[in-house]
Amino acid sequence: MLKYAYNMLVYGTEPIELGIARLAKFGYDYAEIVGEPTQISAAEYSQALSKHNMPVSSIVSIYTPERDLVSSNPAIRANTVAYIKGNVDFAAALGAKIVTLTPTACMKIKPEVDIEQEWAWAVAGAREAAQYAFDHGVRLALEPWNRYESYLVNRLDQSIRMVDEVDNPGIGVMADTFHMSIEDKDIPGAIRSAGKRLAHVHLADSNRAAPGEGFLDFTPIVEAIRDVNYQGVCSFELLPAAGDIWGVLQGGKAPEFLDPYTESAIKYMKNIEKSLGMSDVK
Amino acid sequence: MSNKIGLSTFVLASPFTNADLNLMGKVKGMGYDVIEICIEDPAKLSSDQMLSAAKEHDLQISICGAFGPDRDISHEDSKIRDLGVQYLKTCVDFAAEVGSSFVSGPMYSATGKARLLSPPERKEQFNWAVDSLSTVASYAQSRNVGLAIEPLNRFETDLINTLEQGVELCRAVGAANVGLLIDTFHMHIEEKSLSAAIESAAPYIFHVQVSENDRGTPGKGQVRWDEFFTALAKINYGGQIVIESFLPTVKEIARAVSAWRPVAPSMDALAIDGFTFISSMAAKHLDVK
Repeated sequence: MLKYAYNMLVYGTEPIELGIARLAKFGYDYAEIVGEPTQISAAEYSQALSKHNMPVSSIVSIYTPERDLVSSNPAIRANTVAYIKGNVDFAAALGAKIVTLTPTACMKIKPEVDIEQEWAWAVAGAREAAQYAFDHGVRLALEPWNRYESYLVNRLDQSIRMVDEVDNPGIGVMADTFHMSIEDKDIPGAIRSAGKRLAHVHLADSNRAAPGEGFLDFTPIVEAIRDVNYQGVCSFELLPAAGDIWGVLQGGKAPEFLDPYTESAIKYMKNIEKSLGMSDVK
Repeated sequence: MSNKIGLSTFVLASPFTNADLNLMGKVKGMGYDVIEICIEDPAKLSSDQMLSAAKEHDLQISICGAFGPDRDISHEDSKIRDLGVQYLKTCVDFAAEVGSSFVSGPMYSATGKARLLSPPERKEQFNWAVDSLSTVASYAQSRNVGLAIEPLNRFETDLINTLEQGVELCRAVGAANVGLLIDTFHMHIEEKSLSAAIESAAPYIFHVQVSENDRGTPGKGQVRWDEFFTALAKINYGGQIVIESFLPTVKEIARAVSAWRPVAPSMDALAIDGFTFISSMAAKHLDVK
């Protein structure tokens, strides 16, 4: 039986307690929250979370031009490692086990220097942050992004290669089915090849809406997640159909991602689990 | 075979110029009947030379456009809109001269503009696109050429992402020679259902491009090919089917295609294996009518 979270990023600017109450109402096991501890502190979250008895599975890191692990500017690289460590502290304070990591600024699609150098910077930065995470009982999850959002790690096999090079128990591979629907040739096959390295899972359909709204076949994906003996949480990271996601969310223009998808996503996946005879699914 | 299968010049050379026309022999040798020539730099192509190379190698030419920042028919600046209209008319001239029945591509905007606009701003951009397309459509009609408008995924444009939005644009232009180009790569990201999208846009579908979900060799990824071809059969699609991918060196729309890594062992392998696969799908679904 899988455990589910919903990434509250898509709830935009609404008060956090409303989102947490929504997750509780629709039977979620965990909340997944955005890692901006200087904007909303762990204490603020704790208050709302404990009211609804809702634990946090994972912290989604936001990578901007100032948070770019492979920037040619060493000060930016150092700032990025510091940001990730801050999210590890944030996770530890909230009891979350996962912090997401992507080594480039979101929407940056070209290297600044040669790609081998950038890869080496990514490995070095990830190693330092992974050791810090491990020391705090947290694990980093290295997430490939599609070609429009990044250029360095787009597919699961690249994430596997980087995680193996980092070679630290504080980091694993992350699978996001929306990115994989664009970049990977075979989603279940890629998940199987990640095997025990699989640290975190994001679920979204081919159009980044709730599973069932597009045409991904989630049955073999669930089978692959089950077969690699994944013990982590499956979080729905659903986002609007736009190049400028931040703008849409700030403008509160994504109402279907509130109650409708929060409700339908977990229902859809539990039905698949049921059809596969996975135990204890209600 | 009723549906002719083509290869995009984006797979061969970019920008594709007169100096590359000798590649047509290779394209014919791979089995193709159509070469889709993208007019990246009109000054480096002549329709006379294109036509004589096509005759020599027994290929049909299909014309498509590449829409960089200066070819933007829905830009807020009327001068840039005019440049976009001029460019499209140039493409129409090429099409008329080389026997392509339409000009295809995401001609409603510069490719790669994916901004957040307010509903009034969006409406204004849409209206500019309609105005410019109406101008181009009537010119194209005078030359007996159609326009095949291509929806692009959310990361490449903020204006027309789905076939449904494409139909809305066609209806707003309201000219009989304006229809759609549908592309499996974009549909794989944006559509909820390939078959439903195709069936509801049926009367508008002028042209088809095929590409795998990762822009790699058709048949080696996640696109639901049987569903796609079954839908084409159902609407009696008799037009061309063009394989498109991008060399990593594409300049005019590099930001948009975001092609920085090889998606197949080589572009030749993509063209050869892609032709084998698309031919087999066409034979399975389209030729049994």
